[in-house]
Amino acid sequence: MSHAPRTVLGGVFALLAIVALVYLTVGSGPGFSELLAFCGGRADQADTFTIANIRIPRLIVATFAGAALALAGATMQATFRNPLASPDVIGTSAGAAFGGALAIVTAIAGVGILAVPISSFVGAVVVTAMVFLLAGSYGRFSVASLLLAGIALNTLVGALTSFVVTFTFDNYTASSRVLFWLMGGLENRTWEHAGITAIGFFVFALGIVPRARMLDLLTIGDDGAQSLGVDAQRVRKQLLWFACGLTATTVSNTGGIAFVGLIVPHLARLVVGPAHRVLLPVAAAMGALLLVASDLLCRAVPPDANLRLGVVTAILGAPYFLFLLARHRRGEAL
Amino acid sequence: MTSLIAQNVTLRRGRRTVLGGADFELRPGELVLLAGRNGAGKSTLLRLLVGAIRPDDGLVALDQRPLAVWDPLERARELAFVEQNAETPFEFTGRELVAMGRYPHRPRAKTPHPDDLVAIENALTAVDAMAFCDRPVTTLSGGEQRRITIARALATQAPLLLLDEPTANLDLEHALQLVELLRQLADRGHGITLASHDLNLLAPHCDRVALLHEGRIIASGPPQQTLSTARIREVFGVRATDPDGYFPRRFER
Repeated sequence: MSHAPRTVLGGVFALLAIVALVYLTVGSGPGFSELLAFCGGRADQADTFTIANIRIPRLIVATFAGAALALAGATMQATFRNPLASPDVIGTSAGAAFGGALAIVTAIAGVGILAVPISSFVGAVVVTAMVFLLAGSYGRFSVASLLLAGIALNTLVGALTSFVVTFTFDNYTASSRVLFWLMGGLENRTWEHAGITAIGFFVFALGIVPRARMLDLLTIGDDGAQSLGVDAQRVRKQLLWFACGLTATTVSNTGGIAFVGLIVPHLARLVVGPAHRVLLPVAAAMGALLLVASDLLCRAVPPDANLRLGVVTAILGAPYFLFLLARHRRGEAL
Repeated sequence: MTSLIAQNVTLRRGRRTVLGGADFELRPGELVLLAGRNGAGKSTLLRLLVGAIRPDDGLVALDQRPLAVWDPLERARELAFVEQNAETPFEFTGRELVAMGRYPHRPRAKTPHPDDLVAIENALTAVDAMAFCDRPVTTLSGGEQRRITIARALATQAPLLLLDEPTANLDLEHALQLVELLRQLADRGHGITLASHDLNLLAPHCDRVALLHEGRIIASGPPQQTLSTARIREVFGVRATDPDGYFPRRFER
């Protein structure tokens, strides 16, 4: 079933390059010829500004946010030994959103450019740690207990976030900023956001990718992994820190983007199989492709339709659950 | 050669004492059956022996060094484990799972070394898994999955081998095949312990039976002597109707 990893990776990167190229030419303002002129350094000032300071940063945020969410999802699915684990399902994203919202409505966000990401990271870690403690027993995280813990924490943290947002209702600018951000979207992304998303991705991915074989071993269970020389409990915690980091840097820069972290690892597994040495890079590349393509769709519809990125990815998520349901009804494991 | 010793190990879970001062020894070249009632702590003792859990009291030593001071990878090359519930939710092929048994030898290798490929191939052949080893394990029967897990342990090439209920889910043919394989490995110098309820099938092939009862090993020795009518009554609460030293035994309530 699994295809040659190099071919798949090459194919996904080629598609990503094509979509990225289209991405840079779509929207009001510069088109393809202006992009060519930009590449040759001959574009006028307005087009140069649009491409260099609006579209390219947004493209970079989309690319690394998609890659980070997919990588975080793949990591969580292996560490929890549960194909339904992902940052949005278990509440890590909600925790990151809460941390970010808290930083925005209080004065913390003004402290520095890393204030929101760090606050998001704290939120992500707290929620993930709670799921870890609530849903696990002796290294086992059943589908049911993980989903129940995730629903409980998503609800609780969502309510807390709403509560925090109502604090800002007297301040229209702040409240619309928080709400807009919570819905998930890539409008008005600057080089600052691009930098944080890209650097965050590389820093945390470097913690995960070298542990690809440990991820393989974690999926066989703690006793098996431990007998083969992997300290399952310690490695699981380490990997969850990195997954939280990926989620937090993404959420703090894009808001809540649902389902990428859940779906993409599955799609990647269908194509290249479950071995993480291959799965991780393919999932990251596919996540980038999915998010750039989704955002391209948002930008391609008329601006007054105001299609949100979070809405597009959520629409992709629903049929995916139906697919899982169909599989489950045929008696296959989730 | 390496030996594995547990001295006076105690393990409590809350107020319950699972093991209360159990002594156990596994030497190279012997095949040992660990027997006892459900809940007697056989699995717990195996998990202590492999270092998956630490005793509250007492000592587990591998090659005369406490298990806790061993480098985990080094230990994994000496001591392999076949756990009772080995299942992955992901669609690894049998061969990929068996290849995980090579992790302790080359944790950072990007591609398998020729030695790894030979070890994997031999392990798959030994459990008669060549026919289905390239299918996703999620599509295999319980017995086939069990054989893959045993092959994973064999692929480590560890001299000591601990197996928890290895014949559960196996049909008679493959159960016998497994016992013969374990016997051969023991004859070639491996030290093997298996926890099982299958006294009639396994005991005749074992060098020693260790009876775990009420948290301690109450008897350990040749099968015929250890599984005496009196001890079977004491440990299992059933009557062995045949004279001592005869297999298969008939049991009555």
